[in-house]
Amino acid sequence: MRATTALQKINATYLAQRTRSSTNWGDAQYRVFKSYREWLRAAPEIQQMYSLNMPVSAIRTKIRQEFERHRYVAQLPTVDVLLFHSHQEFQETLNFWKQLTHVLKYFRSEEDPKARLPKDFIAGFLEGRN
Amino acid sequence: MQSIPRSIVLRGLRANKLYTPVNCHRSFSTTTLQRAEGDPAVQPPPKASSEDAPAVKAGESAMIRQQGASEGEPRHTPDYNVAVDYRTSAFSPIPMRVMDGSEPGDVVPAAVLSGAPTDLQARNVRIFKPTKTATQSGDWHSHHWRMDWDVLGKGHRWENPLMGWQSSADAMQGTHLNFKSKEDAINFAEKQGYEYYVQEPNERRIIPKAYANQFVHSPKKLKNIRTK
Repeated sequence: MRATTALQKINATYLAQRTRSSTNWGDAQYRVFKSYREWLRAAPEIQQMYSLNMPVSAIRTKIRQEFERHRYVAQLPTVDVLLFHSHQEFQETLNFWKQLTHVLKYFRSEEDPKARLPKDFIAGFLEGRN
Repeated sequence: MQSIPRSIVLRGLRANKLYTPVNCHRSFSTTTLQRAEGDPAVQPPPKASSEDAPAVKAGESAMIRQQGASEGEPRHTPDYNVAVDYRTSAFSPIPMRVMDGSEPGDVVPAAVLSGAPTDLQARNVRIFKPTKTATQSGDWHSHHWRMDWDVLGKGHRWENPLMGWQSSADAMQGTHLNFKSKEDAINFAEKQGYEYYVQEPNERRIIPKAYANQFVHSPKKLKNIRTK
């Protein structure tokens, strides 16, 4: 029996990334753009992998929407955590660890008319939301 | 060696490669495969061009978005255009505002990072001190502060049509959090983006009494005559 040493090389999973903090806002911007580019370039692969019934442009619009949601974040550590979440989702999606349900969570408001907020008070009142 | 402009050199190089534009999918499919007109997986023609991008154009100010004076103030009316997540349902209340990390100050934007449903930021939260049990004189339950969620307008409670059980669409019904102090509770509510209000406790007013005070001499006329 061969004795194994404690220091063995760890083979990283595909798309694993070492955790790090952004040194300044410029670094954070560079990482955000890199992450955004990765997502956009992976959109056709995501459509093909999960057999999504929508054009690649719809996936890219959704990616843009998710990035725009956090456009005006004021604190650098928050940006770091959001970048980590973004890369986590990216790895899980491209390694096919997700299922169709998990990917379609992002498209719930487009697919399901009941999963939206009403347009204004009158529309909500007529729905019966009081 | 002559100085050739770089663009011409690169154009010469690129002409040798087969350059396929991004939107050529449509043209390929009509010749090779017979795709149905309403196939949702096929790329539709683009509706916007690069001139419509919200980027800074030449001659305009560098600010992406000019904020009006009223936009910086806290909202007191429901905001129907807020971004929703996948947990929104027909019972979700409309929030006043949803935290997006751009709030000034040193507050940790836990509402953005925790992945909690944005409906929670629409609900009101009550911070109070639970009262002493009236039936006993001990007050062991009233030394902490509690956070409680107000009931939903619709979906708070209904009767199950089959068995008559009490059903609810409210995930926070029957949930309360305990804190050591009022400031801890308030910090938590601000961190998570909840709309909160604080109820100050009713302090017990203990009046020290002595029986002998009824018979103390007073030079003026007595206000209350305790004896006949």
